[in-house]
Amino acid sequence: MSQVIVTIDNIEVKVRPGTTILAAAKEAGIDIPTLCNHRALSPTGACRVCVVEVEGQRTLQAACVFPVAEGMKIKTDSDRVVKARKLVLDMIFAERNHFCPFCEASGDCELQNLGYRYGIDHWAYETYLKPYPIDATRQFFLMDHNRCILCGRCIRACDELVGNHTLGLRQRGTRSMVGADTDTPFGESTCISCGTCLQVCPTGAIFDGRSSYMGREVQTEHIKSTCSQCSIGCGIEIATRGGNVLRVKGDWDAEVNKGLLCKKGRFEKLHDGRKRVEVPLLRQGGGLQAVSWDQALKATAERVKESDAEGVGVLTSSNATNEALYMLSALTREMKVTNIGLLNGVSPGLSGIRRGALADIAKGDVILAVGADPVRNQPVASFLIKRAVDKGARLIVVDDADNDLSCLATMKFGVPDVGRAVDVAARAENTVVIYGERVPSSAVGTLETLRQRAVFIALEPGVNTQAAVAFGLKNGFKSSAVKTLFVLFGEEQWDGMDVKLGEIGEDAFVTVVSSYISPLTDRADVVLPMAIWSERSGTLTNVEGRVQKVRAAVYPEGEAKPDWEIISLLAGMLGKKFDESPDKISDRAIEALKGGGIHRE
Amino acid sequence: MSKIKIATDWLAGCAGCHMSLLDIDERIVKLLESVEFTSSPVTDLKHPPEDGVTIGILEGAVCNTHNVEVAKEMRKRCQILIAIGDCATFGGVPAMRNLVGTQEALKRAYIETESVVGGLIPGSSELGEPLDTVTGVDKVVKVDVFIPGCPPSADALFFALSELLAGRTPVILPPEYLKYD
Repeated sequence: MSQVIVTIDNIEVKVRPGTTILAAAKEAGIDIPTLCNHRALSPTGACRVCVVEVEGQRTLQAACVFPVAEGMKIKTDSDRVVKARKLVLDMIFAERNHFCPFCEASGDCELQNLGYRYGIDHWAYETYLKPYPIDATRQFFLMDHNRCILCGRCIRACDELVGNHTLGLRQRGTRSMVGADTDTPFGESTCISCGTCLQVCPTGAIFDGRSSYMGREVQTEHIKSTCSQCSIGCGIEIATRGGNVLRVKGDWDAEVNKGLLCKKGRFEKLHDGRKRVEVPLLRQGGGLQAVSWDQALKATAERVKESDAEGVGVLTSSNATNEALYMLSALTREMKVTNIGLLNGVSPGLSGIRRGALADIAKGDVILAVGADPVRNQPVASFLIKRAVDKGARLIVVDDADNDLSCLATMKFGVPDVGRAVDVAARAENTVVIYGERVPSSAVGTLETLRQRAVFIALEPGVNTQAAVAFGLKNGFKSSAVKTLFVLFGEEQWDGMDVKLGEIGEDAFVTVVSSYISPLTDRADVVLPMAIWSERSGTLTNVEGRVQKVRAAVYPEGEAKPDWEIISLLAGMLGKKFDESPDKISDRAIEALKGGGIHRE
Repeated sequence: MSKIKIATDWLAGCAGCHMSLLDIDERIVKLLESVEFTSSPVTDLKHPPEDGVTIGILEGAVCNTHNVEVAKEMRKRCQILIAIGDCATFGGVPAMRNLVGTQEALKRAYIETESVVGGLIPGSSELGEPLDTVTGVDKVVKVDVFIPGCPPSADALFFALSELLAGRTPVILPPEYLKYD
């Protein structure tokens, strides 16, 4: 590969032709300030903060967009450059309200940092006079146009990362405004509240309602973890302060989502208003009474020991760690319990197919979505599909149900016509098949004919569904025979679950491991409080078979314990000992997943 | 050697910057070996001496004609004028009035406030006339040194004074002393 040599501030650096000055300078270890530029977004050269002096060029050039050429000589910090940057900052500060003391972003603001860096100690021009509106029509985050510097990061994020194209710039000059759908309040627009714009905003123009003024980045602790709201497994960064979760951000370095998150993963899980189960509860004299962990576990263990294996039923949520599912599976095997069910459906097993990664979606020229609705269930996967469609990929949707991907589809078929869809897909160079639980067994054979030419991604419902299935925690649960029921319910919502209260016999003994109070815990004889997503450590397996770490960011509420610890304690009461250290259990679970062909490095 | 004279005053401010100045604590004893504080809101002398001072310090934004007068008098009687705090440098909290307009703000404060009965906007020749636009001090008189902050830290103020006493101008605040909030 040919390389060019450029000189930046008297440092010679060898880079590929076409590299921007900004990237070349970074390679040379020189820091050029930027404002509208963002690592995940395409450069636009809007703010002019990154201007540099290029020998032979009449005017200063924006480093973020200007490509280097052989022998180019660049000055990034000359008097002329510094003067220009100060002018740019003075002008940005002069427009709208950039007065820091009552701004949410103060302390974390990129504009403020540049002001400090260039010693802006007063306003060179007239101060702000005209108030701009604040849009608070969305539930979770707000936009204060007074703080907006029109850098366009939010607009680019909405276009390039999410593929939603909600945001745009309207009007011109000093009346320029970021707006949704030309001119619609955000809350009524096509905005899907994924919060990607919030994450890229360099100032306090877009800010989170829940955590505003509650702690700057330096005052908060940051823990990298994995989102457990769906089976995609996005990398997240949890910000906490004083033992409380303040906010969640997408991890730019995570391979799965590269910074993206959806409404569920960023906001909804922080706004869960349900009442927590804080202590173990045992039914005594008709009502549930708070008891010690020991008492509660003993009650369940004794009951399980008394029952014969046929009378014991186990139901589990897929929102459990690999470790918990592995131990639950081992325990049920040991006790010869076979009446086991998963609280959500699974996509059908296709044989002989090449399983793809989520990143493959971008490479597809035809994307065939069968019986899956990622817009509703795995939104981040839908962003990847929207991006591929923006780049020219054809989307074919096969579904009998109402599917939110349909509006983007080139073709839409009902499930009986899956053959026609497959015929079209078979003619493409790179077909990506995305399928979910609504693929009927009749369509499996048809889909499998694409095995030679397509990669397949199973968008599993639930969360850690792949692991649950791999561990055999889905044998077709029958509630009628159950005398003793154990439900690992976790954080599941109580709505339309497989387990119907009426079908569990009146005299059945029900143990529920749950984070929240629900009609199920009201029915239970023993309730064991479980830690939620931010309070537990372990691993999760995503739709790609990628095993990712979940890290506890805060202590569990009340006496709640992580899922794997509860199963481990119960197993101990039942006379089965697992390895003492959680890491060893992790290793065993991952080993078992590898054996099942699920986990891929 | 005679002592360097300093005069201070406040315009539309909250006194917080003066509190921060007092926050230089025992360093003030050392400072007093070489400077003399003349007029200030906390001393008996309210106007800078007519024969002038070396350093004038102003806190607060320019909100009304009285503020303009005070700022101009200070400028006339000092050699180096320092604007301290966000109000004096940027307009600060008082400048939030600009977002609604002066008349609107007066109406809201004196007539429409929920607890007011038969309200009246104060108007007297003894009072300064409110300006249409609240600004920093530099929009009215020339300012030599700006120390923003709400309030600026005592260290920042002490640093600036020390620099001036050592004869080093212009005063360039190191980044750790430059803050906007």
